[in-house]
Amino acid sequence: MAEKFSVIGKSIPAKETKIKATGECKYVDDLPTDLHVKILRSPYPHAMIKNIDVSAAEKLDGVEAVITYKDVPNRLMPRGCARALYILDPHLRHVGDEVAAVAAISESIAEDALTLIKVDYEVLPAVFDPEEAAKPDAPKIYPEGNVYGPQYEPLHEKGINAPTLLEWGDINKGFSEADVIVEDTFEVGPQIHAAVEPHICITSWVGDELTVWTANQVPYEVREGLAYVFEMPESKVRVLSPFIGGGFGGKYLNRYHAICALLSKQSGGKKTKIRFTREEEQTNSKRFLSKQYIKIGAKKDGTLTAIYFKGYADLGGYGNFFGNSGFWGEYPAAAYKVNNSRFEGWDVHTNHFTSQPMRSVQVPATVFSVESVIDQVAKKLNMDPTEFRLMNMPQTGDVMPPLPYTANTVGYPRAELEGYPSKKLMKLVKDELGWDKKWKGWGRPVEENGTKKRGIGIVYSGYEGGFCHDGFMSMAASMNKDGSINIMAGTQDLGNSSNMTMCQLAAEFMGIPLEDVNIFTGDTSIGQYDYFGARASRELTTGGHLLLKALEEIKQKVRIIAAPRLGVKPEEVEIKGKMAYVRTKAETDALKEAIPFAELITSSITAGASGEPGSVFPETAPGKKVRNSMVAGIEVEVDTETGEVKLLNMVTANCPGKAINPEVVKGQYQGATIMSLGYALWEDFVYDENKRAYLTDSFTDYRVPRAQDVPPLKTIVLEETPDRPPHEGTPYGAQGVGELGCWSGPAVVASAIYNALGKRMQKSPMTAEKVLELIKEGENK
Amino acid sequence: MEAVSSKIVNILVNGNNYEVTVASNDTLLTVLRDKLGLTGTKFGCGNGECGACTVLIDGEAVNSCLVLALNCEGKEIQTIEGLASSNGDLHPIQQAFVDNFAIQCGFCTPGIIMSTKSLLEKNQNPTEYEIREAVNGNICRCTGYENIVKAVSAAAETLRGK
Repeated sequence: MAEKFSVIGKSIPAKETKIKATGECKYVDDLPTDLHVKILRSPYPHAMIKNIDVSAAEKLDGVEAVITYKDVPNRLMPRGCARALYILDPHLRHVGDEVAAVAAISESIAEDALTLIKVDYEVLPAVFDPEEAAKPDAPKIYPEGNVYGPQYEPLHEKGINAPTLLEWGDINKGFSEADVIVEDTFEVGPQIHAAVEPHICITSWVGDELTVWTANQVPYEVREGLAYVFEMPESKVRVLSPFIGGGFGGKYLNRYHAICALLSKQSGGKKTKIRFTREEEQTNSKRFLSKQYIKIGAKKDGTLTAIYFKGYADLGGYGNFFGNSGFWGEYPAAAYKVNNSRFEGWDVHTNHFTSQPMRSVQVPATVFSVESVIDQVAKKLNMDPTEFRLMNMPQTGDVMPPLPYTANTVGYPRAELEGYPSKKLMKLVKDELGWDKKWKGWGRPVEENGTKKRGIGIVYSGYEGGFCHDGFMSMAASMNKDGSINIMAGTQDLGNSSNMTMCQLAAEFMGIPLEDVNIFTGDTSIGQYDYFGARASRELTTGGHLLLKALEEIKQKVRIIAAPRLGVKPEEVEIKGKMAYVRTKAETDALKEAIPFAELITSSITAGASGEPGSVFPETAPGKKVRNSMVAGIEVEVDTETGEVKLLNMVTANCPGKAINPEVVKGQYQGATIMSLGYALWEDFVYDENKRAYLTDSFTDYRVPRAQDVPPLKTIVLEETPDRPPHEGTPYGAQGVGELGCWSGPAVVASAIYNALGKRMQKSPMTAEKVLELIKEGENK
Repeated sequence: MEAVSSKIVNILVNGNNYEVTVASNDTLLTVLRDKLGLTGTKFGCGNGECGACTVLIDGEAVNSCLVLALNCEGKEIQTIEGLASSNGDLHPIQQAFVDNFAIQCGFCTPGIIMSTKSLLEKNQNPTEYEIREAVNGNICRCTGYENIVKAVSAAAETLRGK
């Protein structure tokens, strides 16, 4: 039913890439300011401020304002799905926690002023391991204990610490039916977001109105949080986030916004700017570090019977967004046709800096551990890893347990997968990698050359990224008298061309040229809303869906106006190419009698759309769910003398549903895949407890992938589009694509290392040092 | 909190002469951004690790955050603002980055384009290895470098054809 599209399905560079290439594009750091802020940070991982004296700092020439916990409102600043916090707090919960802040006429004066602040600390015992921190006798970072999850607040009040629990089927029955059971444990380090643009914010007050310029994924969260903490209506807070120099889950509302706004207020409203140093940036936010226990059972014929998962994730001192995530560990298991599963996700505060989601939340770590055990089960059954996965993976049309977001639910409805060609993806990767030729059996290298051994691995997973929380977002569109369209978007463009993609959707849907569509975003004064912002790959899917709903309403308004003129009922009127005509007539006749908009309307026509209030995970169609599927394969060479892992060749196959802008889609997969290789191999996080210092606070010590690090990468994109109207469910069947590529790195590298060495990595990142340790250990799983 | 001395420095930036009063601890990056208003050159780390502040000094790509402005007397400096022609046409390198989807968030882009310019002025037909080597000092967290390599290659081809 190949429908012809005019605008979607075409690779078109985003409009703003031109000004990004010329340097004309103004990021927040490029805007003027009056004052600069520096923050005094805690030298201790856990301490209480006993005394603080800022009088000398206040007297320094050029200093305009100094704040400590004594100066902040006695109100907890709310954040989206995260612990509320005071702007400054005498209880310090990690090295680098905010102690005081100074605004001065230059950065160097502000830095000098920090050295004049005298602080007496009471040092408290600290805890860094999330499993240790979950124990009742661990140092308490919060009075009620360290295990966190908003839905457990009633339990906390009773003094009960509990994990987030997600389960379906009967886990005990599942294991009793198994012929083969494998258990293993894993430790996965954090990953630092490490955007090239540091966190940044400029604030100013005019009268009682606050304006904030910040590179932020969720401007509406910033507005809500600041309005609440400063006790002002949201209508008087304007947040602008025109361009973001990389986010990846790192740029949400945080204390620095409120610190900046308070200092600005105290200096008479002057423009006041905070820009993190690289050292601050590298010790500000991270993906969780975690410990995971996995147990998987299968029958002799290879049928999976049960997957059990227990994980401890470190939230750091505060955590941000979905501390109650249940670890998001269910995704890798929900990727298999298994009737019995149980997840215990312990989200636990530690004295590290904040953990928050990073590109596909915690899924890359859980894919690493679940796929590592899936491999071990297949080995025990003496099955080829690809055959074992093919046997157990669902595909389009299969009815699967949807992900249960309510703790302890049983008997939730099941849904049919759409746009999930997993088996085709597996075949594509196998062929491209030359699997059948290269696979020599479990733990057997593809090739050995002296101390160098080559190994090959393939992994698979599924994730529900994209179509979510439509009840927490709004999109609006306005059709001008000339038929051109302005989009007023709640969505936020992270640099992933979501604005261009949105314009393509509108142009296609309205049958007008792309040039006639313009989009306005990144400014809360647009009057739209998005509580969750640019997260969860939902801009195109959820935002695009709401946009098409708004545009459909505009069409409907025009149909009602045009129907009497055309002498037909509104439902017989077709809207396309800035004209209204009769749908039921032969097109040539219809177009002859078509009425141009200019003759129909005397004002612009505006419509907005949001999901049902509170709507969280809407179905794409009755009984249907979108889920993303991906298969990745890699060939590596391990140097058994040094432990170094050289990446020889990587292949990924991904399904985006409908690719609205194919090169943009591919670019998302590529970028995410390389980011996941950094996570797998080089991005090591080191905290020295004796020095009380993060040793990986620079791009030299924390190595993100560089151009020479990455292997030859083949990115296969396989479209599969459901047959339904474009505005019902995800737009034109498109799926979220931003996070998909991020799952594969640790899992696929570990699998290939196993096949090279016959030994399995249980720790990630798999730095040369850790691989060498494994080589020397001599254990064989 | 020692007082810093200042001095007048003459520099040629994108073909224009500037006489700038600089403090002894001012970097070239600070002078370009704060005193000359050339904000296309970005601050990413301040430690010479990320390459977002790359400019050309006498044709060589350098991290401007590591160069003291005092040492730039009489130097010829090219920044991203000096590439496009005055009628607004993009330089072939810039055009290649746009056409090859080598720009996502764009924050690293000016620096990578300047590293590319330095490469292509010396080597009109670089291999993939040479391209990756030339931009290895520039961190891009978004693209995975695939399309950047493509863009540099395409730009080289365009420039060779000129």
